[in-house]
Amino acid sequence: MPLWIQILPGSDEPIYIQVTEQISKAIARGELSSGDKLPAVRKLALELVINPNTVARAYSRLEKAGLVTTKTGSGTFVADPKLRKTDATDINMLTERMDTLITRGLNLGIEAQDLIRLFESRLTKFNNKSNERKEEK
Amino acid sequence: MRFSALLRKELRECLPWILLAAVVFFAFGGFFLRAAAYFGDRYWRYSRFSPGTTVSPYDLTCYPTLQTAGPWLFFSSIGLGLILGVRHFWIPHFTRTWPFLLHRSVSRKTILAAKLTAGMIAFVISLGALWVGLFWYATRPEVFPIPQAPRVFIEGWIFIMLGLVTYLGTALSALSTANWYTTKIFGLIFATFTTITLLSTVWAIGLIAVSTAILLVQIFDTFLRREF
Amino acid sequence: MTEIVLETKALTKYYGGTLAVDHMDLEIPRGCICGFVGRNGAGKTTAIKLMLGLLNPTAGSSKLLGCDSSALTPAIRQRIGYVTEGHRLFRWMSIGGLEKFQRAFFPKQWDDKFFADMIEYFNLPKKKKIKHLSNGQRAQVSLALALAPNPELLIMDDPTLGLDAAIRRQFLEGMIELIMRQGRTVLFSSHILGDVERVSDRIVVIDKGVLRANCSLEQFQKAIKKAILSFTDSVPDQVDIDGVLHCRRSEKGLELTLVGTDDEEIAEWAKSAGAENYHIVQMNLEDQFIEFTAPANYRRLFQWEEK
Repeated sequence: MPLWIQILPGSDEPIYIQVTEQISKAIARGELSSGDKLPAVRKLALELVINPNTVARAYSRLEKAGLVTTKTGSGTFVADPKLRKTDATDINMLTERMDTLITRGLNLGIEAQDLIRLFESRLTKFNNKSNERKEEK
Repeated sequence: MRFSALLRKELRECLPWILLAAVVFFAFGGFFLRAAAYFGDRYWRYSRFSPGTTVSPYDLTCYPTLQTAGPWLFFSSIGLGLILGVRHFWIPHFTRTWPFLLHRSVSRKTILAAKLTAGMIAFVISLGALWVGLFWYATRPEVFPIPQAPRVFIEGWIFIMLGLVTYLGTALSALSTANWYTTKIFGLIFATFTTITLLSTVWAIGLIAVSTAILLVQIFDTFLRREF
Repeated sequence: MTEIVLETKALTKYYGGTLAVDHMDLEIPRGCICGFVGRNGAGKTTAIKLMLGLLNPTAGSSKLLGCDSSALTPAIRQRIGYVTEGHRLFRWMSIGGLEKFQRAFFPKQWDDKFFADMIEYFNLPKKKKIKHLSNGQRAQVSLALALAPNPELLIMDDPTLGLDAAIRRQFLEGMIELIMRQGRTVLFSSHILGDVERVSDRIVVIDKGVLRANCSLEQFQKAIKKAILSFTDSVPDQVDIDGVLHCRRSEKGLELTLVGTDDEEIAEWAKSAGAENYHIVQMNLEDQFIEFTAPANYRRLFQWEEK
């Protein structure tokens, strides 16, 4: 499935973070799997009509997070998930997001147990989807 | 290549006005000259050569060309000077095209030189050529039985040069950065004054040369220093 | 060490008694797209004209590609593309005529195919005269004329003013196409912050002739933020935290717009001021610009009145 990124200038998220996030999500959803080649920096810059340095910065952020690897001359590729190391900043970011989810849920009046059930069902769904993709390959 | 591109642009820009001046001079000046040649006798009778008036030999020789075609040459020339001055140096302020024109890979002097050369060509080549043609026509014996004095020929050129002086005066006025209208149109006043005083002076050519030099120096100085 | 392609030192311009540009110190390195933003009348066009030698500075200096702006040589001008304010071109010329005119000044650099492709893409007939073109079409011609000589430094004075979104996008695409070539630099002034955000590496903010910001876009976006604090008791009178741009009070809350203040500093101050709770809010570029250039006692034009 081709990579599709939507840039929203004028949002409170800088553009390079939007690009990073959307590529991360695509990888998490299994739309991009390990070994897939990301579009060339210049190609993406022209398509999205953004500065190529912004794309480059997004790619390097993804590389730092271990989600992609760059081979000079060939391009940028989605990294092998087994080689991804989660580090403290990743855990912090996840914790932050989880806190947001939990507070929101509780404020809406949802019981803690229902929240856990909801979380588990979504996790199963994503896992199944990415397993399906792997089987297709 | 760059200068010729600039020159071509300046010429094409004012071509309609050059043609207009040329047509006015040629048509009206030519018409009256032709009328004078054709009606001959009757024309002379109703002219200042009526019996009883004293005329000089010079009058007899210069009469047909300068008196009939001359005024048209003068007015076309002055008119062209005013219009070209405005077109070259005033209109760009209104159309806001100075920034585009001035950001060329040539010196500012070259840009100014192109404009002034186009102006000179307009006078010398268009009006000048027509004057030469008309004068030659008038010297042919079947047109006028009297010879035309060379001085007449030169006076025609003086009218053309006065047009050029007017052009330069208008240019200087347009370029002048003075705020007060009286100081701003100084160039134009100078040109007008020159024109009026030199209409029939022996020193005309010399004074025209001097006025032209003064105006050119001022124009170059202003254009090179000026802000756009 | 990256070369500086555009440099101004204490550049100042007075128009009679009005100060249009106030001691501007600017350095723009090669290879970046620099967005020049400021409110209407802030001095952007004046600054650009000073840089291009169309205006004479009252004081200070300006250099383009190492050459003083008041004495730009023809060789240097050949390396600089300039899209003028309002895209004013010779009205009586046809597009083809303008092409020939412009090409004469760039004998070795002119890219015929590039110009032809752009004009074809814009669907513009070469014989049409400039006076018969709409504003948008004139802007398109202006863009093609500026890009075809493949300039090293492209300066654009509010190139998308009054143009529709599609043409604005074309200008952005042109800028990106240019910047991908080796060693090119773009300086453009704009009011559309979304456009600036898309393509700029650097942002320069000029306000009432004064240079207020000159940094990477990322730094600017990170530096300006809002802190919203809520208090159980009274709101403190003294707001003595560094970097306050604006401060809005309500009965039990405080809204601070801050520039250059760390999140930790805010946390500390919130604690010491006795705030019950606080949020740090990331702002979008347009809001950041408005708050950054607003005067100190800034209040909204229309305020909601509780009846």
